[in-house]
Amino acid sequence: MIREDLGKKLLFFDGGMGTLLQAKGLKPGELPETWNVDHAGDIIGIHQAYIEAGSDLVLTNTFGANALKFCRDDYPLEKVVQSAVSHVKEAARRAGREREVYTALDVGPTGKLLKPMGDLEFEAAYEAFRQVMIYGERAGADLIHIETMSDTYEIKAAVLAAKENTRLPVFVTAIFDERKKLLTGADVPAVVSLLEGLRVDALGINCGLGPAQMLPILEELRTYASIPLIVKPNAGLPRQKGKETFYDVLPQDFAQTMQTVVEKGAAVIGGCCGTTPEHIRSMIQVCKGMQVKPTEKKAFTMVSSYGQAVVFGKDSKIIGERINPTGKKKLKQALKEHNLDYILKEGILQEEKGAHILDVNVGLPDIDETKMMVEAVQGLQSVTSLPLQIDTVDIRAMEAALRIYNGKPMVNSVSGKQESMDAVFPLVAKYGGVVIGLTLDEAGIPQTADGRVEIAEKIIREAEKYGIEKKDLVMDVLSMTISSEPQGAIVALEALRRVRKELGVHTVLGVSNISFGLPCRPVINSHFYTMAMYSGLSAGIVNPCSEDMMKAYDAYHALLCLDENCSRYVEKYGALKVVSGLGSAADTGGDAAGSAGPGGSVSNFGKSGSQPMSLQTVIEKGLKEEAGSITASLIGKEKPLDIINRWLIPALDQVGKGFEQGTVFLPQLLMSAEAAKSAFALLKQEIEKSGASEEKKEKVALATVKGDIHDIGKNIVKVLLENYGFAVIDLGKDVPPKTILKVVKEEGIRLVGLSALMTTTVVSMEETISLLRREAPECRIMVGGAVLNQEYADQIGADFYGKDAMQSVYYAQELFSHEKQ
Amino acid sequence: MDQLTKEAIRYLGYGRHAVDDQTLKLVADSFWNLQTVISRKSVYRIFALERADEEQVQFENVEIHSRNLGKNLAGCEKIVLFGATLGIETDRLISRISKMDMAKAVVLQACAAALLEEYCDACQRQIAEELREEGYFLRPRFSPGYGDFSIQYQQMMVQMLDTAKKIGLTLTEGCMMAPSKSVTAVIGAGKSHLACHRQGCEACSKKDCIYRRDTL
Repeated sequence: MIREDLGKKLLFFDGGMGTLLQAKGLKPGELPETWNVDHAGDIIGIHQAYIEAGSDLVLTNTFGANALKFCRDDYPLEKVVQSAVSHVKEAARRAGREREVYTALDVGPTGKLLKPMGDLEFEAAYEAFRQVMIYGERAGADLIHIETMSDTYEIKAAVLAAKENTRLPVFVTAIFDERKKLLTGADVPAVVSLLEGLRVDALGINCGLGPAQMLPILEELRTYASIPLIVKPNAGLPRQKGKETFYDVLPQDFAQTMQTVVEKGAAVIGGCCGTTPEHIRSMIQVCKGMQVKPTEKKAFTMVSSYGQAVVFGKDSKIIGERINPTGKKKLKQALKEHNLDYILKEGILQEEKGAHILDVNVGLPDIDETKMMVEAVQGLQSVTSLPLQIDTVDIRAMEAALRIYNGKPMVNSVSGKQESMDAVFPLVAKYGGVVIGLTLDEAGIPQTADGRVEIAEKIIREAEKYGIEKKDLVMDVLSMTISSEPQGAIVALEALRRVRKELGVHTVLGVSNISFGLPCRPVINSHFYTMAMYSGLSAGIVNPCSEDMMKAYDAYHALLCLDENCSRYVEKYGALKVVSGLGSAADTGGDAAGSAGPGGSVSNFGKSGSQPMSLQTVIEKGLKEEAGSITASLIGKEKPLDIINRWLIPALDQVGKGFEQGTVFLPQLLMSAEAAKSAFALLKQEIEKSGASEEKKEKVALATVKGDIHDIGKNIVKVLLENYGFAVIDLGKDVPPKTILKVVKEEGIRLVGLSALMTTTVVSMEETISLLRREAPECRIMVGGAVLNQEYADQIGADFYGKDAMQSVYYAQELFSHEKQ
Repeated sequence: MDQLTKEAIRYLGYGRHAVDDQTLKLVADSFWNLQTVISRKSVYRIFALERADEEQVQFENVEIHSRNLGKNLAGCEKIVLFGATLGIETDRLISRISKMDMAKAVVLQACAAALLEEYCDACQRQIAEELREEGYFLRPRFSPGYGDFSIQYQQMMVQMLDTAKKIGLTLTEGCMMAPSKSVTAVIGAGKSHLACHRQGCEACSKKDCIYRRDTL
């Protein structure tokens, strides 16, 4: 069996298929899989040549045989796959070889990009792979080789399809470029984390590069990976001479470099584009009998996103805690209103402040947590490459998030309760992840460090049963507030030390719990944070927007020689003058962080001795920070509504007029809008504080239509409408007509704005309009986008065509003012 | 002002108007941010052109119906299929900045477009050099979506060039490119050296477009 030989005995794959088929007459653009049916003899001949050259593993001619790439009614997929598998078996029979030839079902990418960056649903990719894999196993394939992949997300869909629907071993190889990255941005540790988390049998590199260029990537793979490695280079780089494409590494040279590849630790080798039976024969002649240098087990605790991995080490990692509604009024409201943007901004802000991982908790009693969790995870993964920490007690939400997460996430959390371990460990075993173990069990939280260490041991033992190694566990020894548990800090610190030292497991802690119920919490929190890091805290779940916490973090790393030459410290603090009490005012650990501090900074602008500018002027000029600080200084002197009417509205009108006349341009219009937005945000807080309810806003729903993934135009309109006092319900991009209708009905929307970029997507705009006309005739529809004009808009039945963003604002104003009268 | 900045400003719709310092600073910042995320990649293949007139363009087993393209390729013996992209990280950056600052987002968008054009020009010069050795001269590149050359032909281009695998360029159902800062184009090559003034932008029939090059 292949699993028994893998990693112990050097195994040989075959070489290129495409280049050989082209030589036999395959046309550019023609689907090679049709040849399984029409040119069976040629396909069998190629397989046979490889088997005679000495290949142990032969790939079926099914690289593009998935429903998304291969859609030909005249060639039923099952038949194509079945004949492909039988061709390898037939070739092996004809070659009459003694030793076993394994038939590897070749599975290549779909050629589509998955959401959120493309338009292919994760589950649609899964479905396409599932089909071909079931056919392959049924036809008698011995293993599945997922290859030539460029996207970790697509890899995950393919591996899940293989694991959930077949019992076959799974090999995965991806294309890395010279930067040691996939086309979609993933680096080596990110790919290794994901694939080992999903428990594939072997992983590696194929295509893209020649053998020599693959050596540095192989070396990095060996640094991080613990499972057998596969290397399948091209025969060098493709060159075009006239009509011919040729590859510049000859069989003997290929063979020599492959010898080095084996010496450097590959366990399975073969060739990709441009390699021929001659390349493979030479390679096997040179490498036959070589020992496999086994991949050593690594102890790295790694989590990853689509792009990068975070490897736990000597320094302490920051897990941003702000996406968690507990005690956060604004986030609660955002969740209730389904305001995804608010969550994404919190994520970006924390990354900018230095977080390494983001905790994501969207649990509220009255929302659909599973749905919200999935949206939050996908949304965050379209704006940040930080790994995420899935934080929920709802097992359904946890599984849904683990499934659609692109990478290997942190999982928050499992506890020492049997019930919790029974539910969480199977998910971690299946999807991969680093799971936080809470040191509490059925009997509650032990009062002593001993008790907590014992529970940690119990969790480790139970995890082992699922094949979850220690490196994929991180213990939370729990910080209990010292206001009610006098020994809370002492016990936690001792438990930290012991779990790290005695159990050799990384640790995590929700640091700020320690001060619950005490005044001026940042003082206690930041000092406890330092003590915890010194006691072995691998990752603190903290608020990276808190200056006190970040100061503690930065100082600790400078002091313990974890910040080389104190360079990060100097960069961050070098320009700062020490002012007593600096920065602590806004540091309440709750919602206030991130908002502008009162007063103080107003004197910062107009530095050159010129007259200070008015609020109206700074907004017209689009100066965002100044708009915030001047507004803050005006609050208290003038009523919020007066500030709006006296300064903000005239500024916006002025800029809007200029835009229409062609003296102000889009970037300036938007800079003003952003400046006004920061002023409005402060005024809104003020109005809420005074207890007065805000003026009721008219709702406008905006969407980029189904099939369209460009949303910049819609986002421009959104910013402007919000400035003019409309409540915008942003439905996002690629929105099906039904979703728009549903929101219109539920929210009683009177005006919908639709955006489409291209002629191909105006069709779905038209569909949306006709659906709305039928089901919600009272709703008005305005449209905009690059290909539209008045004529086109009339033709598809829109009420209004906005040639630019301001026009839609004017239309909305006119529409609702009419209605008021 | 360098050429890239000028192009970015044109995409922002400034036409002949003076540009304010605030916007110029945003442009400079945007180019700086983009440098760290863009990953330029391109691919091309050269085919013998079998027919190119106003009725039909034909090569390999491909047929294209487009008057404008037929005109563009008239008199050519070869056709180059070309694809290029700045990579998906560019989209992520724009998407991220859209959440924080729309002014910056539109400027990033324009700067990325300018970088992409510059890159395509550089690639084209290289292809021109290579073909020059064989005695061929290149015509201006012509993309699906120009004139009556339907964007549906992008599917053929993506398939013939295998762009998904080679450079990560994919199409959505609606024929949009992902990554969005990508180009597919055909370039004709003929034995005669024609002075071609009518390039993609100038050849367009939308005469009142504020982004138009030849009115600036």
